[in-house]
Amino acid sequence: MADQMEDLKNTLTYIYSELNRIQTIAGTLSTIENRHYRDLLNMGDDRLNQMANEEQNAARQLGQVKQMCLTMAQKVDELQKNDGQTLQ
Amino acid sequence: MFKFLSNFARSIVNEAVDKAIERIARDQYTENLFELVPVTQKVGLVNLMEIVMRSSQGQPPTRPLGSHIRFSPWDKLLFNPVHLYFFPTPENVSITTAVTIGPRARKPLTISIPIMIAGMSFGGALSKNAKIALAKAASKIGTATNSGEAGLMGEERDAAALFIGQYNRGGWLNTKEKYARLDAIEIQLGQGAQGSSPQRTSTKNIGPEYREVFGIPEGGDALIHSRLPGIDTKEQFMTLVRKLKDETEVPVGLKIAATHHLEHELQIAIEAGVDFITVDGAEGGTHAAAPSLEDDLGLPTLFAVSRASKFLAKKGIDQDVSLIATGGLVTPGEYLKAIALGANAVYIGTAAIMALVGDQMAKAAPFEPPTDLVVYNAKMTERLDIDRGATNVFNFLNAAVREMELICYSLGKTSVADVSRLDLCTLDPFLSRAIGVDLGFVSHEEQQEYFKDFSRLPVVYPPDMVDPAVYSSQLENPIH
Repeated sequence: MADQMEDLKNTLTYIYSELNRIQTIAGTLSTIENRHYRDLLNMGDDRLNQMANEEQNAARQLGQVKQMCLTMAQKVDELQKNDGQTLQ
Repeated sequence: MFKFLSNFARSIVNEAVDKAIERIARDQYTENLFELVPVTQKVGLVNLMEIVMRSSQGQPPTRPLGSHIRFSPWDKLLFNPVHLYFFPTPENVSITTAVTIGPRARKPLTISIPIMIAGMSFGGALSKNAKIALAKAASKIGTATNSGEAGLMGEERDAAALFIGQYNRGGWLNTKEKYARLDAIEIQLGQGAQGSSPQRTSTKNIGPEYREVFGIPEGGDALIHSRLPGIDTKEQFMTLVRKLKDETEVPVGLKIAATHHLEHELQIAIEAGVDFITVDGAEGGTHAAAPSLEDDLGLPTLFAVSRASKFLAKKGIDQDVSLIATGGLVTPGEYLKAIALGANAVYIGTAAIMALVGDQMAKAAPFEPPTDLVVYNAKMTERLDIDRGATNVFNFLNAAVREMELICYSLGKTSVADVSRLDLCTLDPFLSRAIGVDLGFVSHEEQQEYFKDFSRLPVVYPPDMVDPAVYSSQLENPIH
């Protein structure tokens, strides 16, 4: 039983750290997509403008991934704190 | 040749106008064509034509796209840019636009922009092509689309990455095998354009696919009841909400037409444990409704959002229960103002439809309205290019969110969700008092002092029309 609890604690810690990594990656990619959007828009071509719009949208969706990861990480953190007593 | 034709046309027009002016000058007023001008001014052109429609059909005319009256004074609210007091957001910082609907649900719904496609039903309102195009656009930009009061159309569900379905008064989506496929459930008890009035689509307007999606037997009508079948008490409503939450684990919300009884309605919804509330203001659009329902019923969106958000905050649950505003929201500025007043996200209907037909409306113009490309049973729905329509809506949403982001930079915000009523001011003292937004012509520090003395408020009626004794008595004993 104690082994299982220890395993669960470790799993939660692992999920928490990976979620934080994913949100950092999403944030970085979002910044890159935003830069692409500006570069493409500067070309002044209709088809590139459409691609620029899609890059801008990709940046926002990565922002969405970032927010989802943050929320999930927060929930995992709450789990760790609230159930810490039980897991001990 | 062209010059000859042009001169010929000019001389005919000139002659016709001369004759018309001559007749208008000489004829008795009661026999004069000009009589139409004062009549139109007195009655209004829309009302005049609707009187004619009523008189010829004997039935309420079914006006599309909602009321023409702009009840919500969005234009009287202005955002406050910052320069030194707070600093604007640096341009290399991204503005967070993602929003989570129903954060306390077991499976919350996160969308990448705070704008969603409003409930517009297949069959009851839109064609299959239009619904699929809207679903594709929503998926591409990372937001949700809504079924409207309809059954579950497989193609729409498949095209929509995030799909909110309406548990509706017609009962067409109300079985577990259908609502279990949704990302959020919106219990639809009313809408801004029609309140909770019953609606009926007759057999002759129901095609085979409509019949199949809705599960309507041959020869049967599609009837939207005024209340949900089987829900005749508050307790039954609460039981329904809990059942849907337990069975699906997705956010379960309530959509109502905004009314002056708003807080009483919300109290019951909160007790039932809804995850989100959709308030549809009086400006809400629809495929078709009687003009009196559209013009004379409901609470304007602006006041509905303001009151609902205040109520949720007062109850201390504004972080748990999401608020969605809808009804006549047209511009990105209006979307952001609704968010500033407390909405977490907005639904758009008419604006999405207009964006959808966008550069394709030339196919219908000039002899048919642009909606002929998208409305179920219209003549030209097969001519709608789905992918082009989806791109149009995607582009519109992208541009709209960009405009909202630009305002956020100027307000010094890093997230759309951080925009609040403190970022607004108004030039209308009554609006200022009603929704708790600072009055723009008095400094922030002097607001309370200014409103201490009500006599400073502009007089609505000219002084000679108001008996001073009655006026001062009203000030002392305000009527509530």
